[in-house]
Amino acid sequence: MTGHCARTASRGTGATRTRMLLALPLGLPLLLAPALSRAAEPADASPAETAAQSPLERTETTWRSIAPDIFPGQPIGAADGLVTLTAPARAEDAALVPLTVALTLPPGDPRRFKAVTVVVDENPSPVAARFAFGPDQKDFALTLRARVNSYSYVRAVAETSDGALHMTKAYVKAAGGCSAPATKDTADSISHLGEMRFRSFAASGRDEAQVQIRHPNFSGLQMDEATRGYTPAWFVREVQITQGGRLLMSMEGGISISEDPTFRFSYRPSAEPVAVRAEDTEGKVFTHTFPGGGS
Amino acid sequence: MTQCPTTQGPMPAPATVRTCLRTLAAVAVLAAGLSAPARAEPPAEPPGYRLEPYRAPTPLTVDGVAGVSTGEVERLWRAGAVILLDVLPRPPRPAALPADTVWRDPPHDSIPGAHWLPNVGFGALDAATTRYFLEGLAALTAGNRAAPVVIYCLRDCWMSWNAVKRARAAGYTAVGWYPAGVDGWKEAGLPLVAVEPWHPASPEAN
Repeated sequence: MTGHCARTASRGTGATRTRMLLALPLGLPLLLAPALSRAAEPADASPAETAAQSPLERTETTWRSIAPDIFPGQPIGAADGLVTLTAPARAEDAALVPLTVALTLPPGDPRRFKAVTVVVDENPSPVAARFAFGPDQKDFALTLRARVNSYSYVRAVAETSDGALHMTKAYVKAAGGCSAPATKDTADSISHLGEMRFRSFAASGRDEAQVQIRHPNFSGLQMDEATRGYTPAWFVREVQITQGGRLLMSMEGGISISEDPTFRFSYRPSAEPVAVRAEDTEGKVFTHTFPGGGS
Repeated sequence: MTQCPTTQGPMPAPATVRTCLRTLAAVAVLAAGLSAPARAEPPAEPPGYRLEPYRAPTPLTVDGVAGVSTGEVERLWRAGAVILLDVLPRPPRPAALPADTVWRDPPHDSIPGAHWLPNVGFGALDAATTRYFLEGLAALTAGNRAAPVVIYCLRDCWMSWNAVKRARAAGYTAVGWYPAGVDGWKEAGLPLVAVEPWHPASPEAN
């Protein structure tokens, strides 16, 4: 089942509904009389029952079909304790599902992390984003907010400096995230387009910072009730976050990143300012520089 | 049904709170429905096509004609006596996606033998979608406007309601509406198969 706006689906009982649906349209009964009498016979003409496929089997099927497109020719290994993914088993809002990826190399491991790709199998555009790091990244955590369009595995695939891929996954029950209609908040995002916030959490004892970019991040799957068509996709395609010219994190994102893209990531405050550059699919570039939050 | 914990996640956002409020309201409505002797009154038919969001409770009738039950549709289907049209929407690949973006159309399961005409049940159609709908109806009924047709999507889905109204307005005289749709079919334990959208046959294929 596709997840179009499934979160607004209600749960009427089939029996109640069936009793309420009384008659065929005027043109039908005469034409249908032979059909109704034939239906009393054994249903030897009925189509064969199709083998039921469990949702989990189905999502692995999806992964097998998309993995070669996302990582062509690359074997994908196990997480090996290098990458973990934390996701809600059941999302409270399918359009804003928090996903946390943590990357850790054991002491003495000479490798570094180059990138991590976040995939939502069942989304029409499964690659939510690819995040890349500076040259010496051994230990990194990142939280993003994503849209989940139907019950799906979410995967984090980390790439180490030796070129190997390490995958972990979590199953998320959420539906309708990509097609959830725009709201008053969306209009607010547009009127503040490209504004950013940067916050270091050092004061509360956590080596983390958060960047938020105001942008509607239209998925292209949301209906615009005024024009009766799909609102064209319009989203933040690239983000670079640097400090003193060093790359902290970059992102190449797609339509699965939630409205007002927000990233919380490992960060040690310093006196050097933090620069954030974002570019959207219309070629609009937004840049802001913030105090580094340290001394 | 989504659940709203009492504590917020790492990044609380207004939209999250809003959804929780909406969910709580839905739960309240559901609870009221369970304790009350009857389900809430279904909405009346709008004067024209439904233009608001399509996932919402529907009236009992289209143009005053009541919908068809799962049992009726099953009998017609077993007898091969009806043309079944599924009108669940499917958004096209957004034009703004970079060319190398991996895209996979969401799969859709429907009644075996049904024809899927996506996006023809929105409240207003652009010219291309209107043409697709009329071409589909003409091809699948072999031009017989009295051919029995049943249109459906999901329960509480106005796509099928609009499409039934639209097909009748186009002159089809035996168009039934199956309001429980794929949801009702599945609940009755009837089979579903993966379907792909109907495409007009290309001239050279004929």
